[in-house]
Amino acid sequence: MSTPQHSTQAGPSPGVAVTGEDEQLALEGVLDIRTLVAAQTALSRWVRQRKSRSLDIGKLSEIDTPGALFLCGLRDKGVELTGVRTEHKSLLDLICGLDLKPPPKPVTVPRWRHLVIQLGKVAEEAWHDALDVVTFIGRAANATGYALMHPRSLPLPAISRQIAETGLSALPIVGVMAIMISVVIGYQGVAQLRPYGGEDFTINLVAVSVLREMGVLITAIMVAGRTGAAFTAEIGVMMAREEVDALKVMGVEPMAVLVVPRVIGLMITLPLLAFFADMMGLLGGAGIAQAQLGVSPVQYVDRVHQAVDVSDFLVGIVKAPVFAFLIAVIGCMHGLRVRGSAESVGKETTRSVVKAIFLVIVLDALFSVFFEKLGW
Amino acid sequence: MRAPGRQHNAGPIVSARGIVNQFGAQVVHDKISLDVMAGEILGIAGGSGSGKSVLLKTLVGLHRPNAGKVLLNGEPVDEVENAEMASLIGVLFQQGALFSSLSVAQNVMFPMRQHTDLPPEQQERIAAMKLALAGLPADTGAKFPAELSGGMVKRAGLARALALDPRILFLDEPTSGLDPTAASGIDELILQLNKSLGITVVVVSHDLTTLFTVCRRVAILVDKKITVDTIDKLMHSQQPWIHDFLHGPRAQGAMNARKHAHGNR
Repeated sequence: MSTPQHSTQAGPSPGVAVTGEDEQLALEGVLDIRTLVAAQTALSRWVRQRKSRSLDIGKLSEIDTPGALFLCGLRDKGVELTGVRTEHKSLLDLICGLDLKPPPKPVTVPRWRHLVIQLGKVAEEAWHDALDVVTFIGRAANATGYALMHPRSLPLPAISRQIAETGLSALPIVGVMAIMISVVIGYQGVAQLRPYGGEDFTINLVAVSVLREMGVLITAIMVAGRTGAAFTAEIGVMMAREEVDALKVMGVEPMAVLVVPRVIGLMITLPLLAFFADMMGLLGGAGIAQAQLGVSPVQYVDRVHQAVDVSDFLVGIVKAPVFAFLIAVIGCMHGLRVRGSAESVGKETTRSVVKAIFLVIVLDALFSVFFEKLGW
Repeated sequence: MRAPGRQHNAGPIVSARGIVNQFGAQVVHDKISLDVMAGEILGIAGGSGSGKSVLLKTLVGLHRPNAGKVLLNGEPVDEVENAEMASLIGVLFQQGALFSSLSVAQNVMFPMRQHTDLPPEQQERIAAMKLALAGLPADTGAKFPAELSGGMVKRAGLARALALDPRILFLDEPTSGLDPTAASGIDELILQLNKSLGITVVVVSHDLTTLFTVCRRVAILVDKKITVDTIDKLMHSQQPWIHDFLHGPRAQGAMNARKHAHGNR
């Protein structure tokens, strides 16, 4: 087979030139995507004339599809194309024969209205989202409660796998973060309290804030980023690959096999991780006390014993299962929201992490107020 | 000729010499050579795992072979500059590989935006033309890849591959996953593009109907080696796999389609 429009032509640079005069012009050279603008500019005024006019394209060595489209446009404006080479004819016929309706223009709205529309959309989405979260929390609580009431139906192997995946492997990072946080609080405490001669109270500050708030909060945020995202991605990929649909047609409730083990597993893991974080936080405090205050570890233990109450520890740790439930439910909910493509897995994972961390912090604030009112 | 140094010679436009590809201990291609002539439609066939897609990736320079070299238009494939590469080859990937964040028209305009300085209106017009050329209705341009059916994804991918009027078109399984009507639509489109635009086409496919209706010559990958010949000659091959491939129960219908498409050719 031959390649009509790729015929050889001598000359260093491919270009297009307009020759001839008045009604009869000729194009020479190469009319392709690179020379198109030049040809268009050269011919723009000539094309607008009323007179009958013709364009000789016999000297064009090569035409590509954009070039052909341009020539077809000229023909539609009443320009007669003459001297068409046989090898260019089929290309021109093909391109001119295409039905090129302009694509329907999308409806444009003014900027200020766009802003209002966007605001409304976001508000509606937030409302639906809130409803979804509440509904899903209810359904997940129901399924989890049912599973706990019927211990025989508890998927123990799945739960233990979840504990191993979400708990053990998170120990190092949670421990390091807890130490770091208590170091940060300790340094600030020493710096702020020293002018008043109260730097010894730094130990109280670190112990109380780690046990009541920081230990569990840092753990929950870490787990929301780590495990919540993993839940969404795991379930999301299963959704995208129709595995969840396969479960449904086999008469298995996705809620029972996908959500319940994760929820129960995380509700066991997160309190343990929070306890570990508390201990590591106190350890970090011991380091600070030694380095900045010259308090020996034995004295430190004694001081901590005086400074904190069991209730401080309980106030912290009691929040952990609640956070765990929330993180697991949000993660699973967004996983089950994945539709179709892999792109949607990424989107839902982001949303899940953001929402989980947001809700954990909001809930923690509510807990603070609540325990304050109770006087704990 | 559209740029300096792109003179068209009558010889092979793609030429692979002594290609060896292996993954770990597993050798996929053992010193295979292949020439694609300018203006022809060449099929590449073979069983699952015979390395069809790897060969295609090697030809377009996405995969560096363990040994051997590939010349595109006389130049080693890894030395061709980006802009030249873009106007030399177009590739339709198996899943279309359309950018999911861009609309179909933007997908087609993307290479133009990168490699030409056409004004946006002009790009839009050309994109609409390419979509029409690929047989898509005008309103498809505004849609996003996720909204398209399988056949439309392939057509949109083809429109994007054609964006810069490449001289060689590589198609990876252009008809897989399509219903028979859509598949024969693609077959016709390939033939038409080759005829009217003079594009050289390399089709990787195990769809016998596609191979029989669009290809003059077919390269069959068997046992790490390659056999290239016209279909008529391959029909008489004694090689067991090739014989089974071309004479199996599915081959008969494909042969009829070939007769239908080519008349008495």
